[in-house]
Amino acid sequence: MSRNSAEWKERPHFPNSHFVSTEIYTDEQIFKEEQEKIFNKCWIIACHESELTGAYDYRTFHHPGGAPLIVIRGEDMKVRSFYNICPHRGNTLLYDPVGNAKRITCIFHAWSFNAKGDCIDISRAKQGYQDRYGCENAGLREVKTEIGYGGFVWVNVDDDSSSLRDYVGDSMSLLDENLSDPLEVFHYHKAVVNTNYKLWHDTNSEFYHDYMHYFNRITGMIQPGYFDRKYTGYPNGHASVGSMSIKYDAYEGGKQRGVGWPGLAPGGWVLVDMFPGMTYNLRTSVLRMDTAIPMGPNKLVIEFRGLAPKSDTPEQRAERVRDHNQIWGPFGRNLHEDLLGVHGQGLAMRDRTDSKWVLHGREENMTIHDEGGMRHFYAEWSKRMGRMAYDPMAVVDLPSGAVAAPLAA
Amino acid sequence: MALDDKKFNDYLDLCDPAYHYAITAYSPEIRKEMTWLEHDKAGMQGLFANLPKHNSDHSPLSRHVTVYTVKPSDDGSEAHVISALQVFRTTLDGGTTELFAVGKIHDRVTLAGGMPKLLSRNVRLETRMLGFGYHIPF
Repeated sequence: MSRNSAEWKERPHFPNSHFVSTEIYTDEQIFKEEQEKIFNKCWIIACHESELTGAYDYRTFHHPGGAPLIVIRGEDMKVRSFYNICPHRGNTLLYDPVGNAKRITCIFHAWSFNAKGDCIDISRAKQGYQDRYGCENAGLREVKTEIGYGGFVWVNVDDDSSSLRDYVGDSMSLLDENLSDPLEVFHYHKAVVNTNYKLWHDTNSEFYHDYMHYFNRITGMIQPGYFDRKYTGYPNGHASVGSMSIKYDAYEGGKQRGVGWPGLAPGGWVLVDMFPGMTYNLRTSVLRMDTAIPMGPNKLVIEFRGLAPKSDTPEQRAERVRDHNQIWGPFGRNLHEDLLGVHGQGLAMRDRTDSKWVLHGREENMTIHDEGGMRHFYAEWSKRMGRMAYDPMAVVDLPSGAVAAPLAA
Repeated sequence: MALDDKKFNDYLDLCDPAYHYAITAYSPEIRKEMTWLEHDKAGMQGLFANLPKHNSDHSPLSRHVTVYTVKPSDDGSEAHVISALQVFRTTLDGGTTELFAVGKIHDRVTLAGGMPKLLSRNVRLETRMLGFGYHIPF
């Protein structure tokens, strides 16, 4: 039976932890608070160490909290990160996404900096500033940087944050055996979608949407063991999903993966969602990393990386690239469908469309079609935001874990 | 034109049995050559056959190709053709047309059998940001 306006807006008859208001996906003020309370407090993946192999190699990164960053490897081979902002007149220091800069010189007035963030030259400093201001006052703003968990470069703009190890906790334990060999990025592309970043992370946090993917229905969903996979929640909003065996040859034109992955059973699949918007997706022969970079409540940049063991032979690498492209490339079977899904959500949830609720109500003993992965995320979101995801405009002081109990470990 | 009209069998009829198709691009971000799609003729047939089973964007594409150079082999059995490619996407709702991608096409064409057939095609993309992507090759 269809519903009238009042019925449409009626609060779902679920516990408060089992649905959210769509305001959390559309409201500009909430987005700005997310930048401040979540993205500027959490560890975020900026790039991979294989993108900075040599001394002075750098990579620029638009931090989802807002700050433009330079990630650069120093002469001592240590990777550091700085705001990509000249302290003089606020100009962008490095324009290209990647390069090599022994000396970072602002094009505007030629102020120069080294790879440790020290100011090393202010043009005509004495004439202009006499002894009132000098290089000692003009260092770059450094951002905490650590490398780990598969060689990714993590950054945190909060000087008082916990260590990366404390932030990640045990959430990566399922991948411990799989990330010990050096990796390198072989695929990179971005997608811009008019949607909210949480909707993308939600898609990576639930497998009920396998109904959208013909490929997954055939190769996974109707195979034995599919419903044995379980979500496990960890502190700080992270979650993992255990492995199963994918039957790739069930897809017409598909074939079983031959190349495999160190420490992973043949056809295996492990997924780890890192709060607030990163996903490790290790599927048989390829590791995919998604990094969500929101530009606004309804505008999202997603960085997609495909990674492989550095030790690959050319033949192994070619096979991995084909495996990756079949489902996850820009022309792949699944990625296009996933992106269409969140694009459609963005269309339907735009401000004033009268979209009201998103349900996270499925309970199946935390197996693959349970929506507990999303509930776990929004418990952390609510705690950090001081807002309840089901009623975000009612500001409350939430004690830790008050919205939803963490998932069983 | 056959791909624009989604007449996939007509397209495949233009291809030699040894046909090899690839979409490639260079990523300045990771400083690497990338292959985004790669199939032989059977793989292309499978890709087209599976399309109705997938959820896809149904906006039609218009592939605009300008032939730049045609270089015959010394014995005249093949030609290497380089063309510029522009791909436009037109929305179904309202019919807005937007530029979707630009690049170049590198074709090897066999002239041996009386009728030219495609031996290989490398769609070399400059555009790397394709929004929510597309299921049908360029």
